Amino acid sequence: MRREELSFERPTDLFASQPPEVRGQSRDDVRLMVTWPEGDNSHHEFTDLPTLLKPGDLLVVNESATLPASLPATSRLGSICLNLSTRFSDDLWIAEPRWSPSRPGPLPLDEGDILQIGDSTVKLLKSYPGIPRLWLTHFSAPTSTLMSMYGEPIHYSYAPVYPLEAYQTLFSRFPGSAEMPSAARPITPRVHNMLLAHGIGITGVILHTGVSSLEIEDETVEHQVLYPEPFHVSAATANAVNVTHARGGRVVAVGTTVVRALESAWTGNMMRACAGDTSLYIHAGTGVHAVDGLLTGLHDPVTSHLAMLSALIGIDRVKEAYQEAIRSRYLWHEFGDSHLIWKKRVENN
Amino acid sequence: MPVFDYSKREEHRLSNVALVTGGGRGLGRVLATFLSGQGYDIVITSRTEDELQDVAAPISAMGGKVNAVPGNINDPNHRTRLLEETNLMGGVTLLVNNASDLGESPRPELVHASLDRLRLTLETNLVSPLALIQKALPQLQQTHGLVINITSDAGQAGYERWGIYGSSKAALDLVSKTLAAELKPLGISVVTVDPGDMRTRMHQEAFPGENISDRPLPEVTLPFWAWLFNQDRPTLSGMRYQAQGTLWEIPVQ
Repeated sequence: MRREELSFERPTDLFASQPPEVRGQSRDDVRLMVTWPEGDNSHHEFTDLPTLLKPGDLLVVNESATLPASLPATSRLGSICLNLSTRFSDDLWIAEPRWSPSRPGPLPLDEGDILQIGDSTVKLLKSYPGIPRLWLTHFSAPTSTLMSMYGEPIHYSYAPVYPLEAYQTLFSRFPGSAEMPSAARPITPRVHNMLLAHGIGITGVILHTGVSSLEIEDETVEHQVLYPEPFHVSAATANAVNVTHARGGRVVAVGTTVVRALESAWTGNMMRACAGDTSLYIHAGTGVHAVDGLLTGLHDPVTSHLAMLSALIGIDRVKEAYQEAIRSRYLWHEFGDSHLIWKKRVENN
Repeated sequence: MPVFDYSKREEHRLSNVALVTGGGRGLGRVLATFLSGQGYDIVITSRTEDELQDVAAPISAMGGKVNAVPGNINDPNHRTRLLEETNLMGGVTLLVNNASDLGESPRPELVHASLDRLRLTLETNLVSPLALIQKALPQLQQTHGLVINITSDAGQAGYERWGIYGSSKAALDLVSKTLAAELKPLGISVVTVDPGDMRTRMHQEAFPGENISDRPLPEVTLPFWAWLFNQDRPTLSGMRYQAQGTLWEIPVQ
């Protein structure tokens, strides 16, 4: 697939700049568009979600919690922002130096350059192979300490920064994500209770997501390099997925991070317990096997997330659905509206 | 506001000492430099002194501690000398058996291969790594060290004309897996790593006269090494990894 096939235009006033609760609404006060396997779309409130699923279906959520991963730093270029992305240890990370939260790099930095954070230092060890905007970075002080002293949630130009709680979901239990796994954000305790009352199963995986700000740069979408992310699929969750499939239920990933974790643990005909780091790239060429549906947000053009959506229903239907979302004024990004996509060839009533 | 500076805490810990064979170029060079950047003390060896010095000079210039010891890994006296050096530095915590012999170039079919050359390939790729591990055992036991044996997909695939190199790596894979089981009670961990195709001199020698510029530089493996060195070693022992693979798995207990 060529890069421009993942491109689309959308007015900037459709960028959600505020969480609903800041406007005095509930977190579940967002809209939900459903894209059916045949490609038609329907419009709902998010609180309709339980009635759009059937007893015996399984939602899989990401239990990773968001870190205050954006650190102010000084460099020989002056004041910059260093967004932590992926942790190898408390002093070794993949990180993205930016001019500011709203102004991306790449910055003209060199191997061996030293950044300053408070009175500690960060050494740029190596440019990340294949992704020049990212660096392998080594810290003189524990990043957990630096984040608690100086960190704020990663945020971009379309929204101001909010307290860290705004970037957690009902399921956030294990800190480790550089950015919020936001698909479960509108699942409030009342939606959760309605889901359980409808006989919908809910189980969790962990995938600590890195920075999402990277556009696909390679002209051929499938050639883009993706960096690894730590994940864990427990034996209990693997079993729940297998049992759901065996009984004819549908497995719905809540977020692209969950698709990545589940597909990484997929053996070809079943789910197994699996942990480690995955750089699995899911696109139309790979397809998806472990999940039947994806509950997610609305994604930026030319991103690997869009390539993943095309694995579910094909890029043409993704773009038709996005045109429909634009016409219907759905809101983009982590505080925006929701999108449930059923995989092609799935039976529904 | 002062931040707890744990670079000072490091002084009270055992120092980290890495021994990298085949450290003069390619993967060994990249790995030694990367480890030094994270505070490892390094011993590198290869047969070519000039290349070793080219690796050691920038490491020293950056303030790293590096000891370049030229010699042939198949020489028992040289192996003894290497481990005397790591012992003086506090004991080897990371032993990377990276030096490898590709065998004849161009690569022959097995029925036409020189048996003497096969013996040399097995000596370099199988016997010497094991000999180094045997000799390093007291140090590895003391440091609860990690042994990394560099392997290849040629050890599993049965590609035509890769039988010599491939069989040496297949044997190294089995030796590694066996050692992992045998050394577990001693607290020593062993993994094998297939770095994948890379733009190195060895890869060029495997494809003489061919253009290999589409292969990535050995730096492509750095994220894997960053990951591997920060895992719980006993958990991983016995695993075989593909550095350029999409899944670096930790066995789920």
